[in-house]
Amino acid sequence: MTALGVRGAAHPGRPAPAALRRRRGREEASGQWRWTLPVIAIAAVVLVPIVVTIVLSIVPQSQSTTHAAVTLENFVHVFTQTRVLEWVRNSLVVTLATVVVSVAVAAPAGYVLSRGRGKAVSGYSLLLFVAQSLPIIVSVVPLFILFARFDLVDNLFGLAIVYISSTMSVATWMMAAYFDSIPIALEEAAWIDGSSLFGGFVRIVLRNSLPGVLSTAIFSFLLAWNDYLVAIVFLRSDANYTLPVGLQSFFAENNSQWGYVMAESVVMMLPPIVIFAFLNRYFSVGGIGGSLAGR
Amino acid sequence: MTATGARAIGRAVHGVGVGGRSERSPRPRRFGGRALTLALLVAPSVFLVVVIHGYPLVYAVVQALHDGSLVALGDFVGLQNFVTALENPVFWHAALFTLVFTVTGVFGSWAIGLGLALLLRKRVHVRSVFRTLLLLPWIVPIVVSSTAWNWLVATPASPVPLLARDLGLGSVLFLADPTLAQVTVCVFKVWVSFPFMMLMAGAALASIDTNVYEAARVDGANGRQIFFQVTLPLIARSTYISWILMTIFCINDFPTIFLLTGGGPVNATNTLVVLAYQTVFANFQTGPGVAIAFMMTLVAVLISVALFRQIRRADVS
Repeated sequence: MTALGVRGAAHPGRPAPAALRRRRGREEASGQWRWTLPVIAIAAVVLVPIVVTIVLSIVPQSQSTTHAAVTLENFVHVFTQTRVLEWVRNSLVVTLATVVVSVAVAAPAGYVLSRGRGKAVSGYSLLLFVAQSLPIIVSVVPLFILFARFDLVDNLFGLAIVYISSTMSVATWMMAAYFDSIPIALEEAAWIDGSSLFGGFVRIVLRNSLPGVLSTAIFSFLLAWNDYLVAIVFLRSDANYTLPVGLQSFFAENNSQWGYVMAESVVMMLPPIVIFAFLNRYFSVGGIGGSLAGR
Repeated sequence: MTATGARAIGRAVHGVGVGGRSERSPRPRRFGGRALTLALLVAPSVFLVVVIHGYPLVYAVVQALHDGSLVALGDFVGLQNFVTALENPVFWHAALFTLVFTVTGVFGSWAIGLGLALLLRKRVHVRSVFRTLLLLPWIVPIVVSSTAWNWLVATPASPVPLLARDLGLGSVLFLADPTLAQVTVCVFKVWVSFPFMMLMAGAALASIDTNVYEAARVDGANGRQIFFQVTLPLIARSTYISWILMTIFCINDFPTIFLLTGGGPVNATNTLVVLAYQTVFANFQTGPGVAIAFMMTLVAVLISVALFRQIRRADVS
């Protein structure tokens, strides 16, 4: 019962029936201030560090010559005088590679987890769980030595491989949770029409799983875009830095130039915020619980 | 095209009520005959997990038994690295603080996340906007938020210490005093993690049938009784799962501490991950560092397996 319950709520991305949507519209309209005010107060406190970052990035620094209250010169400086554009490019390359490959590998694996039965599937489920609880720090040193042999240290490709593997457990659970919500009757119909198992998976299940794919993609994006530990171990040269390592090294060298530091910070936090602003309703972590423990 | 398809499926799921795993048995016979396709579908994922997680784990065991470096394996030294690690008082301090950090991280973020999830179910204006805004601490990269926290608390001239002085609390050194640094790091972790708990709790709360609440009210239960005797038991499974995941996240967390305090002052905020990293990459003692990481891994796996069994128990009852 509980398993179904968690799963039922797992996909806010699934469009609600018209009646439900109407009711939700009324609820939004009849908000009450006695509930809204506490939420505003909490949000105001919680968001202080983020607001501070944005404000400091657009006010002039003390040595600035401009008298305007708000300026973009911090951004102009970091874009023209620092390597931030290179770091953005590196981060984008690594992150996009991670997102694409993670989804491509986790989707079929999630399908097996969702539809398959038996000892092998349970064993695979346990493997994912153990992999998820392994601290990356224990893998980092052996991987460093292994990657050195293949010239993958200080290499964006090597970094992406580690990220893809780190996303694998949660990405597979997310995909499986979404596939669980697709009735198997649809595939059965396709099989009767002569479709293969693989054909059914691609044409019936995958093409109806956009919210699940997006959810997994967002998760992989966050992991790869935000990671610091793996990047600082594997990346050795300025030119290969991703944004987290670049920003941190810039902060260490210019820790009183808050305008510049915060301008780079804003550059770094903007992509995840924009993605969430638009795709928030597709992102759900609730479903992974059912996949994690349900089989 | 795909979007319309998804909508059709959504309607089908809502209307007919099929979809959960439980309805799917008995499985179609032809499905079982396609084990090879299934194996091929899962193969890339298994390969990745084994190469990137399995191989290093085995190699780490070997490394922990040798006195090597980052480039050479070195000589076999038996358990000497473990002895070195365990004899270091810093190790025990780090182990203790890892425990404190994990417990406050898990339960602090859970309490706040659950509270906010409950609050956001009330009649709040522009609820979806607040839901997104409250996710920001979890979405924003730690490198960015730790920089902002640094600006807020690091030096005596930072805004928060100045505010504390104006409130008559005297000179408060958030990152220089060992105890306060520990508290600050824990608060930072809770700040980063509560949105995740809010998401998990929100999904679980949304799945509770509202009739249950009405029935409880009809039976004369008050708000507190409903919370403890209806709501909490109904979301127990999701709660355990979020505890497991957050325990793993906390034990394995590196940037939150490393970027805010670097493990200082005087090792006060060192956790085992940070200690292992520093032992390997700052002190170049690969053997002892890997030994620390390995012991930590063992504990992490044991704890999560124990909690995992709790879920199964919760399922039975």
